[in-house]
Amino acid sequence: MRYLIRFLSQGAAGSVEHYDKIVDDPTITIGRATDQVLHLKDKRARLQHARIEVRNGDVHISTRALAGVTVNGRSQRDAKLRTGDVIEVGSNILTIIEAPPGFDFAFTFELSPDATSDELTSQFGSLRLSQVAWSKRRLSWALAIIVIVLALIIPASGLLHPTAADILRNTVLLPDDGLWLAGPVHNKHSKSSTQCQHCHTQAFNRVKDVACLECHQTDRHVNSTATEAILGEQRCASCHLEHNEPPELVKQHQNLCADCHADLPAGVELAAATDFLKQHPDLQPSLLRPPLANDGDAEWTVQRIALDDPRLIDRSRLKFDHSVHLDAEGLTTPDDRRVLVCTDCHRVETGGARMIPISMDEHCSGCHTLNFDADDPDREVPHGEPEKVLQILIEYYSARLLGDDPQATGRRLRRPGQALTRADRDRVAGEARKKAMAVAQDIFERTTCANCHEVSSTGEGGAAPWRVEAVKLTQEFYPRAVFSHQAHDTEAVDCGLCHAAADSESSADVLMPGIDTCRECHGSAVARRNHSGQIASTCIMCHRFHTPDKGSFP
Amino acid sequence: MQESIVRYNRYRYLWVALGLCAAAVLAYALQDPQEPPNGGTALGYTLGTLGALLIVWLAWFGVRKRQYSSTAGTVQGWLSAHVYLGLALILVVLLHSGFQFGMNVHTLALVLMILVVLSGIFGVYMYIKYPLRLNENRQGAGRSDLVDQIDDIDRRAKRVAGGLPRGYGELIHSGINRTVVGGSAWAMIAGRDNSQVVLPTGDDYTVVANPGQEAALDWLAEQQSRSMDAETAAKMTELSGLLRNKRKLLERLREDIRLQAMLEVWLYIHVPLSVGLLAAVVVHIITVFLYW
Repeated sequence: MRYLIRFLSQGAAGSVEHYDKIVDDPTITIGRATDQVLHLKDKRARLQHARIEVRNGDVHISTRALAGVTVNGRSQRDAKLRTGDVIEVGSNILTIIEAPPGFDFAFTFELSPDATSDELTSQFGSLRLSQVAWSKRRLSWALAIIVIVLALIIPASGLLHPTAADILRNTVLLPDDGLWLAGPVHNKHSKSSTQCQHCHTQAFNRVKDVACLECHQTDRHVNSTATEAILGEQRCASCHLEHNEPPELVKQHQNLCADCHADLPAGVELAAATDFLKQHPDLQPSLLRPPLANDGDAEWTVQRIALDDPRLIDRSRLKFDHSVHLDAEGLTTPDDRRVLVCTDCHRVETGGARMIPISMDEHCSGCHTLNFDADDPDREVPHGEPEKVLQILIEYYSARLLGDDPQATGRRLRRPGQALTRADRDRVAGEARKKAMAVAQDIFERTTCANCHEVSSTGEGGAAPWRVEAVKLTQEFYPRAVFSHQAHDTEAVDCGLCHAAADSESSADVLMPGIDTCRECHGSAVARRNHSGQIASTCIMCHRFHTPDKGSFP
Repeated sequence: MQESIVRYNRYRYLWVALGLCAAAVLAYALQDPQEPPNGGTALGYTLGTLGALLIVWLAWFGVRKRQYSSTAGTVQGWLSAHVYLGLALILVVLLHSGFQFGMNVHTLALVLMILVVLSGIFGVYMYIKYPLRLNENRQGAGRSDLVDQIDDIDRRAKRVAGGLPRGYGELIHSGINRTVVGGSAWAMIAGRDNSQVVLPTGDDYTVVANPGQEAALDWLAEQQSRSMDAETAAKMTELSGLLRNKRKLLERLREDIRLQAMLEVWLYIHVPLSVGLLAAVVVHIITVFLYW
């Protein structure tokens, strides 16, 4: 079919102008859509409003629009067209005309003179965003589904079977449950396993202690294997938190202790403690107490005595004057005059937890030589049993009286080859013993030994009638607390800040600081409420959780 | 309206939001330092619950604004509260997170939330600035007035061109048919002029770009410079005048479309991201308790 469409428009001064359009199609489509052969700008027209086509040799116009098309003033859904028919679609008028030679069908097209611009769509394309942009609703659904599928459904499919989880974890582009990590896994834990299910055994259930006990022993906490009963409602994870930032496997939270220690059950010796600054008993040094019986086999006992208690006396049985040793003028030593400092004797163990024990050999003998004879200053008695000391002295003086020492006093002259007579021998032995006893009495009761030790005369007729009381220095004054000298930087900090040694004239003085000294730096656990710049100090800074030998829980 | 969502009821919801922020910050600051900030502490759960409720309530605005018969406050009040509480949400959620971020679903929810709020801030800015600009640009006329005026100019230009040689008709008709306004979303927002025109060059025709009707005007000017009779010259002058007026009208129409599109475009980010955020929050909550 060859159609002619003649577009008519009003020209100047009422003249009519026209353009012709030739269409070589079987059908002419009419509508508001841009793909229509006859494009209408009328809002009342449907996108595909009507079509003109040949049926059974006749030209028909048909429409599916409910309003139909108006042909010769009558609304119709389908009409046969003849020359002279007038069709109205909205404000558009089509008039069928005689087809010129070479055309099968022809009609004119014009705008009704009473058409208003309101009824017409713009000549332009879409002018509003909502006409061209994607639907917000569709975008929303798409995004929500992407999030749920990628972040939840695919990773969760790993929960169905361990193999599925492995496949997800080992495939680069597939999301796995690593997406759900709320924070880093602690170093030690991530080394032992990369499977979330090792600890998170049951979905939507808190991590159970059993998961921890697979690798961990409980004897640091409870003296029993029946942990569930002993820990009550508390779980391992109540105190040991994973996935925290910064990583903190041991919860420092003070209330974990204070909740119980605020109000301990009757019969518990411990005083209430809830906060180092606000409620904490004063420190009580644990002092070694010598055995009451003098039989030598009895054990030393430990007694905790408050710092303000008059019984607070160190009974190590060593005589020691810190003030003399720390004299700023210095001390006369065998070598030279020396000024001693604390660290000459008190040194921190490797690791910093404790001090190296004081010993005669290590710390005293450098100055406190055990010589006994001014004429022979290199000779020393051993540091030990009185009997042995006396024996050495007797042997020493016997040798001097009998030997070749020309200076030896009381030496009897005899001819070469002449043997000692029995009477001589007895006499020398007697003299040597007498001399040794005199020297021994001097060192035991007045000088060398008595300088440091409590020596008593037994008055018995034994070989050495003296008794030197055993010395035992307290190693841990606060055994229930953890204190590290290294952490307190004793290299830089003056020892005198905590230990008033420079003024102490007696070893009976307990030179341990009290809680007030600690509180100069250590404050309440709640640092942000401290105004004095104290270090926030929780229970766990100095104390450990119940250990089997130190009380039970709960 | 644009100012009143900010100042609504003497900044009532600004004060509500500030109070909420202050309470959250205070609780966060007073938190026991031995309990490091985390979503899993008591305060963390509290802030998380608060944040989730806020998100649901903020999203509910999309429902409330369609409930024309609802008497639960005015939509204006809701929008004011939506804006201020949406801003407060950032702080509440950041405090909930304890400032811990990672490549995980939890940070995904946080990032989506921040993007939603940022797009919302952009939207508020648009609502404050653009309606005024829109009015200034329209100069009292509606968009259809602009279109009608352009139509009118086109009609007159066709009429004038009808009395001129064929080339002029082609110039004017193609210039009208190939004038592009609007179109794709990007074309609306960029406000670019992709119009074309067919220029008669000797016996042939060339299609050239015609932004601001420049090419057509230049061609006319060139023709005018050649000697011609007085009647033709007068028609040419009329055509040039019509095209210059059309250019101004097209500029205003494009600006109108651009401003209108800017007023709407942020919602294409804000709304889908909000729904994505709701999904991410659900995933966040489920997964946190899945591996408790």
